[in-house]
Amino acid sequence: MSENSTSSQVAEVAIIGAGPSGLAAATRLAKAGLKPVVFDLNAAPGGQVYRQVESPQADLRVTGIDYRLGQRVVEAFRRARVDYRPDSRVWWVQRVDAGFELGVLHEGRSAVWRARRLILCHGAMERPFPFPGWQLPGVMTAGAAQVLLKQGGLLPEDAPILVGSGPLIYLLGWQYLQAGRPPTCILDLTPRHQWRLPLRQPVKAWHARGYLFKGLKMMLALKRAGVAIERDIDALEAIGDKVLEQIRYRQRGHWKQRPASLLLSHVGVVPETHLTRSLGLTHRWHAEQQSFLPVRDDTLSADENLWVVGDGAAIGGAVNAMREGTLSALEVIASHHGLTKEERHERDGLRRERARDLCARQLLDAMFLPPLNIDAMPEETIICRCEALTRGDLDQAISDGAEGPNQLKAFTRCGMGPCQGRQCSVNATLLLSRRLAQTPDQIGQWQIRPPVQTITLGELATPGVVENRET
Amino acid sequence: MRQDFFIVGGGVVGMAIAYGLARAGQGVTVLDADDTAFRASRGNAGLTWVQGKGVGMPSYAEMSLDSVQAWPSFALELQQRTGLELEYERRGGVDLCLDEEEAHARRTEYRELQAQSERLRRDFHWEYLDREQLLPFLPGLGKRVAGGTWSPHDGHCNPLYLLRALHAACRRLGVDIRQATPVENLARTESGFRATLREGHVEAERCIVAAGLGAKRLAPQLGLSDDVFPLRGQMLITERMPRVEQLPTPQIRQTATGGYLIGDTHERVGHDKGVTLPMLQTLADKAVRIFPFLRSTRLVRAWAALRVMTPDGYPLYERSMTHPGAYNVNCHSGITLAAFHADGLAQAILNDRIHTHFSQFSGARFHVPSTP
Amino acid sequence: MFRRLPETASDSAEVTLWVDGEPRQVGATLSVAAALLQQHGWAEYRLHHDGTPRAPLCMMGVCHDCLITIDGEPNRQGCLVIVKDGMRIETQMPAAQPTPGASTG
Repeated sequence: MSENSTSSQVAEVAIIGAGPSGLAAATRLAKAGLKPVVFDLNAAPGGQVYRQVESPQADLRVTGIDYRLGQRVVEAFRRARVDYRPDSRVWWVQRVDAGFELGVLHEGRSAVWRARRLILCHGAMERPFPFPGWQLPGVMTAGAAQVLLKQGGLLPEDAPILVGSGPLIYLLGWQYLQAGRPPTCILDLTPRHQWRLPLRQPVKAWHARGYLFKGLKMMLALKRAGVAIERDIDALEAIGDKVLEQIRYRQRGHWKQRPASLLLSHVGVVPETHLTRSLGLTHRWHAEQQSFLPVRDDTLSADENLWVVGDGAAIGGAVNAMREGTLSALEVIASHHGLTKEERHERDGLRRERARDLCARQLLDAMFLPPLNIDAMPEETIICRCEALTRGDLDQAISDGAEGPNQLKAFTRCGMGPCQGRQCSVNATLLLSRRLAQTPDQIGQWQIRPPVQTITLGELATPGVVENRET
Repeated sequence: MRQDFFIVGGGVVGMAIAYGLARAGQGVTVLDADDTAFRASRGNAGLTWVQGKGVGMPSYAEMSLDSVQAWPSFALELQQRTGLELEYERRGGVDLCLDEEEAHARRTEYRELQAQSERLRRDFHWEYLDREQLLPFLPGLGKRVAGGTWSPHDGHCNPLYLLRALHAACRRLGVDIRQATPVENLARTESGFRATLREGHVEAERCIVAAGLGAKRLAPQLGLSDDVFPLRGQMLITERMPRVEQLPTPQIRQTATGGYLIGDTHERVGHDKGVTLPMLQTLADKAVRIFPFLRSTRLVRAWAALRVMTPDGYPLYERSMTHPGAYNVNCHSGITLAAFHADGLAQAILNDRIHTHFSQFSGARFHVPSTP
Repeated sequence: MFRRLPETASDSAEVTLWVDGEPRQVGATLSVAAALLQQHGWAEYRLHHDGTPRAPLCMMGVCHDCLITIDGEPNRQGCLVIVKDGMRIETQMPAAQPTPGASTG
């Protein structure tokens, strides 16, 4: 940073994110006497899954038993010797000789941090799921509905329609049912043959039995309460003038229509790769999870002095994220002053549990393989929401010669809006992959540009440069 | 089918020449690098600009003037051929001077340039305006800006859409554009030239190296000069803001979509295309100094690109002495000069007249005393 | 619109938010975007630059469709800002943004 600005602060270990993996990593490091600094975009620890866990706004009967685990994890974190910094946006990350340079925005001021070791625990995002009309007010994600439920005990005034594939759809439906406001119906986009996978893969099914029974229980409760669960749906459309009014869907070849005020959609979660890509890490296409994942070694390290853990690296769920967080902490401890015999045992045990859990995950990935076929979307489907670019717009640019993601971005402005391509990058790559008959890895993704989080010019400028008022 | 030309480089320089040659009925193949290649064409500010060009070489200023005068019809033709809007405007531009010292130096420079050329004395119009005089052209201009030089010749476009339109127009004209096809080496054959590719090769009667920084490696293989080096420029773009009637400046301009483009750094850092925190901050400082109202505007993206510079900063146009039929075209003002490249320069290459019409621009100027 | 669960409505702290000039009581734990979804709904939340209406999609800092004017600053990510007593919120119909004239006057 230039001399005229505040000098940088220094941390031995920095952690980005305070969800399950970040909490576990920080708590374990503190136990070993290393005091990490934890930057959290949110105002309180817990991440997405344990949001608002310290002052719950909804009864555990509604949020579910898993939420209680979050309370214990956050309590342990609060007791640990950790430099916790909520409301801190890491908008800049760059590798510098001896570690990492971070730009952290807090209450309108940007500070520079230098960290020798970095653990990325930034988590996942919901998979962008484009369909005609998904930009209409009244269409939200199921994850957004869960945020509202946890953050403020908020429920839809009128019964919503849930659509998509994956466990979260049923979890949300069940939570609404527990709260006494069940959804109108659930439109399940999972292809029928994927439901039968547990029967064909009994070993994986055994490892996944906990997840499967939980899902089954929720599904049965919803059915018993009279919530219609519609299957064999392969196309969807949201219709409305200024807000959502109707939805149309194709079921076994027939189009059906329903009035709707709120549509909550979800087709699984994917790692948020903005940070890892901006650090220039190698990412590979993971066909089972249908997403790009940063490449890590056995120690969960993606580069020297850099670990990526939890759902920001590969989807494994909250419990796995905590394991990975602890494992990364043990690796940091090992590189700092070595592991004791007990710590080595702890590490080996966590590694075994992780392997077992990831085996179950493979089955879940296969069962809920997203029903997304980007090149078959109607051409008016918006792909880049920020720039309001449709599938047809992107195809036109491809036929003008945009034969790579960076050229496609340049030719169309796809990914140049405020979300910086978080909602369209993968879908642009998948479209190119189909059109040019190359694998997603061959196509790659466009280059990520800073800032990785929002910052204003005034916040970025040297303090004192900004004129307060001119006359 | 044997082509008349192959062109190494699918940036705005190579594509403008390809467009000019294809329009003249030539069979052209363009060999473009990978999607991740250095691409000044994708990282520049989009100015069609005369101010500041050719100080020390008036013929370059004259060439820039010719090109910006040809730009309106060039843009219109491209738009008609492709249906793509280039967001091109020529309503004049202002090169800002942050302090009096800079203002004084600027005026001296322009007067000296005009003293060297009758044509520029007559046709290059400019005027120094202080902050008060600039306010109608740049509403909201900060108090800590001394003034700037205004010129009616200057304008701006969306350089990304220019690149797209050139690609689209060339495709429609039958140019064979091979993307992700970097050239391994260049050689003469019995009746022309051959480009060896990762797989296979391409041949043509004549060839043009418009490879930007890639010329360093490729140009010498055909006896052409390799006097190019990278000069990094970092840029910021803000979120969309309401459109304001204002003139573009090299320091900052509002694009057609409403974002403010902030740039104009010059850093000799080799092939490092990274952005740096100090420079980002410097650019933000400059932006809020010029337009204080931007302080609560959000930064959407920051990037760096590498200018393709020659030792004196002027373009490099040359025909190979050892390999007649091979040409070298390299410059850092590919947007301003696009209209000229598509017309005058393409014609001169077609007629094999580079060495007579543009002898001043040969790379020989870097190696021998300037006696012809 | 979203409504609070009956059992939480009574025993939670509230703050006053000014939404387009109207005072609204909202739960103190909510983000600005969540408060608006409760008090105002998703209709007439924000007009996008292409003229279409938009409202929050993801509520977790990804989509940037929740952009809203907070205490006079336009285009803030409403889902990442927790409400504070006395905060002034303006829906962006159409987008109200600073102009050069306004800040130099």
